[in-house]
Formats: sequence, C-alpha cells, structure tokens
Amino acid sequence: MPPVLELINVTKRYGDFTAVDDVSFALEPGAIYGFLGPNGAGKTTTLRMVLDIIRPSSGSISILGNSSALPVRTRIGYLPEEKGLYKKMKAWSVIAYFATLKGLSRAHARQKAYQLLERYGLKDFAEKRTDALSKGMSQKVQVLASIAHDPEFVIFDEPFSGLDPVNQEVMEEIIREMVSRGRTVLFSTHVMQHAERLCERILLMARGRKIFDGTLDQARRTIPRSVHLETATGVDIGSLRELPEVLSTTSISENTPGSLKGWVRWEIKVRENADFSAILGACFERGIRLRSFQQNEPTLHDVFVHLVGPDAREAAFR
Amino acid sequence: MRNAFLVALREYVENAKTKGFWLGILMLPLMLFLSFQVPLFLEKQGTPVRHFVLVDLSRQFEKTVEQALETQYQRDLLQALNQYAREYASRAADTSGGEWKAFADESPEGVAAFLQAGGKTYFLALLGKTLLPNTPPFVEPRRIYRRVSLPITEVKSIQSIADELRPFLRGEKKIKENETPVRLDAAILIPPDIESQIVRPDRKMAPPEEAGIQYWSGNLADKALRTLVENAVNQEIKRRESINRGFDLATYQQIEKTHVPIIELNPKKVAGQERVSAAEKLAQWAPVGFVYLLWVALFSISQMLLSNTIEEKSNRIIEVLLSSVTPAEFLMGKLAGIAAVGLTMVLTWLASLLLLVGWKVSGNSEVAVQFLTLLRGSHLIPAFIVYFFFAYLLYAGIILAIGSVCNTLKEAQNYMAVITLLMMVPLFTMMFIPKDPNGTVATVLSWVPIYTPFIMMNRAAADPPLFDVIGTMVLLVASTAFVLWGAVKIFRTGILRTGQPPRILEMLRWLRMR
Repeated sequence: MPPVLELINVTKRYGDFTAVDDVSFALEPGAIYGFLGPNGAGKTTTLRMVLDIIRPSSGSISILGNSSALPVRTRIGYLPEEKGLYKKMKAWSVIAYFATLKGLSRAHARQKAYQLLERYGLKDFAEKRTDALSKGMSQKVQVLASIAHDPEFVIFDEPFSGLDPVNQEVMEEIIREMVSRGRTVLFSTHVMQHAERLCERILLMARGRKIFDGTLDQARRTIPRSVHLETATGVDIGSLRELPEVLSTTSISENTPGSLKGWVRWEIKVRENADFSAILGACFERGIRLRSFQQNEPTLHDVFVHLVGPDAREAAFR
Repeated sequence: MRNAFLVALREYVENAKTKGFWLGILMLPLMLFLSFQVPLFLEKQGTPVRHFVLVDLSRQFEKTVEQALETQYQRDLLQALNQYAREYASRAADTSGGEWKAFADESPEGVAAFLQAGGKTYFLALLGKTLLPNTPPFVEPRRIYRRVSLPITEVKSIQSIADELRPFLRGEKKIKENETPVRLDAAILIPPDIESQIVRPDRKMAPPEEAGIQYWSGNLADKALRTLVENAVNQEIKRRESINRGFDLATYQQIEKTHVPIIELNPKKVAGQERVSAAEKLAQWAPVGFVYLLWVALFSISQMLLSNTIEEKSNRIIEVLLSSVTPAEFLMGKLAGIAAVGLTMVLTWLASLLLLVGWKVSGNSEVAVQFLTLLRGSHLIPAFIVYFFFAYLLYAGIILAIGSVCNTLKEAQNYMAVITLLMMVPLFTMMFIPKDPNGTVATVLSWVPIYTPFIMMNRAAADPPLFDVIGTMVLLVASTAFVLWGAVKIFRTGILRTGQPPRILEMLRWLRMR
C-alpha cells in the first residue's frame, strides 16, 4: 500500500530562520504515529505544511497520493495545537459546520454532531454556546469537530493538553477506535506515556531536524540497557567488567534517594541483545552477594531526554 | 464554491442572529419615524398652553392682537380639518364630493375665505357626505394662547403694572383662570403714548430707548407669541398709516400683494418641460441621503468584519478553517456573507424609508408623491447598489488585511483610527457637493478611489460628465481588484502570525511572496 503521507527533503525558512530543515519521512496506513520533539522543534510548522496551510520553501509532500492536502482535504482531519471555537455558536453547530466544510451534507452533519456529542458524554451541552463550556469540554468539542467526517488520516496536534486524566483516556480511546477501523493517526505530544501506550512508531524532531524515525523498540534501543545491583558496602564488582556483555559499571548510591546504609547501588550498562541471566550467573560465580538485581528497560522518556536533552535544554535557555 | 457558500452562510446566519444586528437595523427607521412623529406630537400635545395678559393703555391695538390670535387659531383649525378630511374622506368621492378641497389654501386669504364661507360648521357639513363609515368625530385643536385677566386691580402706569406682574412672571405667584391657579407666561404691555413711539423713517425723530410695546416673558426660546403680536400690530399700524397719508386702503392692499413670480428652468430637460418642480429640487438633495446611508452601512459592516476576522485569528479557528477551505474560498465566502449582512441592513433601511415616507405622505402632498416617483424612476437606486458593492469590497479588503495582522481589537484600533479619519471626508463634503456638483473639489475627490463611491453618489443627481462617471468607475474597479489581491496576500501570511503586528514594509514584502 502506498504511504498515507510522505515528506521528501522538506525545508521551511522564515527569512534567516530555518524552522524545518530537510525533513523526510513516510507514514504507512493503519497505524498510530507519535510526533515528538521539544518546544520549537518545528512540529507545528511541519504539520501546517502537510496540510498545505503554508508552503514549504523546498522539498515535496505527498498526502493520500496527492501533492497538496487541499484536493483531498475531506479525507483528512486536523486538530491544531492552539484550540479555539467560535464563541457564540452552539456546540453542535460548530461540529456540524466543520463537518459540512469537509463535505458532509447539512442534515448528515447535524445528525453526526448530535451522535458524537452523545457518545462522548456531552449530550447535555449540545445546545450550549461554546463560550459557556469549560476548557476541557470545548477541547473535546474541537476533537469531535475534527473527526466528524470520519477522515482516513487524522492529525492531532497536542490532543491531550488541557484534558483531565479521565478525558485523556477518552482521547486515547478515540485514537485507538479510529485505527481499529483502518484509519491512520499522527499525533504530537509532550507526554511520553501517551506515546508509549499508543504508538507503534514515533518520529522525533529537534531544532527543525528529524532525529529519529522508527518503532518504539528501535527507539528504546538507541540508548544502552542497564542492570541495577545492590551489594553490601566494600564488595568489589569490578570483575564483572570482564564479561563481554558489560559496557561499564558505575556506583550510583550517592544520587539514589532512599538507599539503605551498608548497601551500595550500581548501574551496569550492557550491550544490545545482552543476556541478563549471564550477568546474574556471573555474580553467583564470583560470590558477589546481592540484595537486589533489577533489569531496566529504558522508557520513551529516557529516549527523549537522551536524544534531544542537550538540544531541549539549550532551546529553553536560548 | 460549495465551501465559499458554506462560509458565507455561516457568516450571515451568525451575524443575523445577534441582537445587536437587529437593533442596528431597526434603529435607523425608528429614528426616522421618531423624527417625523416627535415634533408633530410635541406640537400637538407637548406645547403647553401659554397664559398671558394684555394691557393696552393706548386703547388702540387690543382688538388687533385678539383678532390675530383668532386668525391663527382658525388657521390651525383649518389645517386640522384638512388633515381630518384627507384621512377620513372617501377616496372614491374625490371626483364628485370633494368640495372641501376648495379650502386647501391655508394662507391668510384662504383662512379668510374659510371663515367667510362659514368656517368649521360649513366645512364639516361639506365633508359629512363623503366621510367613511366608522369615522371618529372631529376634535378641535387646542387654543395654545389664552388671555387671562389682569390679576391687579389698580392700573396706574406701565411701570407699576410691570412691577406688580413680576412675581407672577417669575412663577412665584399663580394667577387664576376659571378658579384654577395657572402660571403666567407672558405679559404684553402697550404704553399709552404708543403713537409717539412709532418709527417713521421720513421724520427724523429717533424714538427714546426702551420705547415700544413691552413683551415680558421668562421664556426666551418660544418667540411665537411675541412674533404674532409684533406682526399684527405693525400690520395694523401700516394700514392706518396708509389711510392717514391719503392712500386708498384697497390700493394699499393691492400694492402689498403686487409681485412677479420666478420660475426655475432646467436646460437639461426636454424643451417645453424645462420647469423645475419642487420634487426635482428635493431629488437634487436625495443623493446626500444615499451618501449618508452608504457611509453608515459601510461603517457598521467594517466593524463587523474587523471583529470577526480578529476573532478567527485570536481564537486560532483560522487554522482549522484553512485545513478545510482554501484561503480564496474562505475570503470569498467571508466577503459574500458579510456583504449579504450589509445588504440586508441597507435594503431594510431603504425599504423602511420608502414605506415611511410613503405612509407619511399618502395623498398628503403632491411634492412628496412626485419625489417618490422621481426616486423610483431615477438611476439613483441602481447607482447606490453598484457604488455600495465596490465601496464595500474596497474597504473590506483593507479591513481584512488589518484584521489578519492584529491579534486584538485594541491593536487594530490604531490602524482603524486612520481608516476612520479617511472615511470622514465624504461626510464633511456631503452637504457641500450638491451645490457645486461638478466643481473642482467634487471632481478631484471623485478620482480618489476610496472616495469615488461617496462623491460620485453625491454628484449622481447632477448628471456628472460621462468621462468622470466611466473614468472613476474604471479606476475604482481596478483599485478594488488591486486591494483585494493585496489583501489576500497579506491575509495568508498575517492570519497565522502571532505576536506584534508587522510593520508596513514587512507587509509590502508579503505582497511579493508567492
């Protein structure tokens, strides 16, 4: 199947500033993609170019087999990062209005709006003006407005921000439900847990460049896995370094809160595909008495900090 | 196209739904209606009865004043009767039983003829045959000026009377009229030696200071009574003077009425029909009304468009919109939607204006009827629609560009101040241009595109040279197209921008962007 979205060497410059720098990637249909990156990484600019709201300075974009999003816009859904609704319109009519712009008939759009509001617990607010809704509710209305026409490809820019935990779950449910029907979802977020729970693949941008594109597992493998050990004080574990799996051993007691007196905590970085049981076996062989042995899988959070940490911090102080 | 229509529909429905819109629409006809009705009402009901005393120590003019008051009242009566007849006399009877129409003349001679014929009784008798069924009985108008008797017993001199009347005139004391205490509004005091105080230009004898009839009143604004007395007494003096000097009274009255009429002719009209009617003179001023209407309509929809665009920008709705419609579709829809709102407003105003004038003058005055026919048949209304259309697009383009670069109404106000100031010019020249419709000021301003619609509308009744009409139109269309093109460019870039509004130079750079 052809990709839903393909960017080839896309660059966007504003004067001297390069917001997006030579970015290429492709999205396969029927999957959930996480679009991650620190603030100011160029995510929103990239998404706007994808939707042909702004034009790239160079490079090409193909979306649903088209060189511009405009002819296929009825098959695309978009929730922008900064959310806003017409303040004086009623909740149902906002949803219906955006749905008609996406090609639904007025009667169908109206019916769909009520249906969605009922399904997602906003039935009682259908007739309320949007300026009477809470922030979370109006954001939900906006999400519904972006999917009312049942698009094949949906782009959510920061869909979770401003939602309480219950509604964050509802949002996750919306995304999963869409993908279960063969739709493709691309969403950006700062909350790694959402990406970890939902995504099959992630795209990571920093300072306008793509710095990672792959599956969650591949992402985790970008940083070395590690084992945390606890031994009695004075035990030397230096001999473990002789093992082929081990990259380094570091004492981390000082920076680990709650460590017990008389015990030392170690971090052992291991090679990719290393067998943790071999390390545990080696400990027994060498008579190293352990209080705990813990295998650590890196989280997406670790991956993010590892890959963009310096950049993100630099950006924050820029 | 479908999307542009949807955008337009939303704009229209959302704006037409607001209370403010309907208030705005109803305000103008209401104001017009009130400006018709309130003075009428005030004249009929609001003017309080004025009580006055008249002391004529010369014993010469008391009758004259009383008679003048009576004549005035008879004229009011005749007017009221005519009004009553127009309202309730059957139209069908116009051909046969319209004898009452003989008293349409409400001038002093007409009033005299009316009295001669038998006055109110005769008039009502004439009318009786033709009155429609269920007609209410005729109600006489009130007498506004009522003479009351002097509240003092001893009459010594003008000075003493004035002194004694002062507390009454100041409102500190009330006088009695039919046992009800009322306020004394005025005192007319005629001194005994009034004869010696008459000014005669041929006898070089300056009258003393403080000479003449004394008119005492705390109310300086209402001069009607004073004028009435002045005219009546002076006319009587002139009449007596002419007799004293040996003129025949009839001859004198003939001389008084001797005059030559002047007719106005318009060289642009067909030979033999060049006479300028009163309606045509009025029609010459009609464009002023249209210019004002154009201005008010444009001004209110500008505000609507601006706040609307800024809402979409500051709420970031625009991003979703632009992922659904092309900027061109969006702008087209927006312009069309707001134009429809504006047209609804203007057409409602126009219709209510015509209706109101039509209702007010139904069979009432020939001039008004002619004026309406003239207006309906003239090119003024089509011209108004065309100029409204282009003026709207031109100003809308400018306002869309401003709205798209500003994040708040407050930011936009700085730009709008300039636009508003520029827009004021036609209001200043509005009353002047009909007097010199093809003069230098009018011609020059016509060629400034932002003023073309106003000024050309202003000149429309004076048949401006064809060169001006076509030339300014071409320039207007071209500059409208240019402004819209630029507005789209600025809009596309500006609407997604956040932060400070750009500088003019920056905006000019956007014009060159793809």
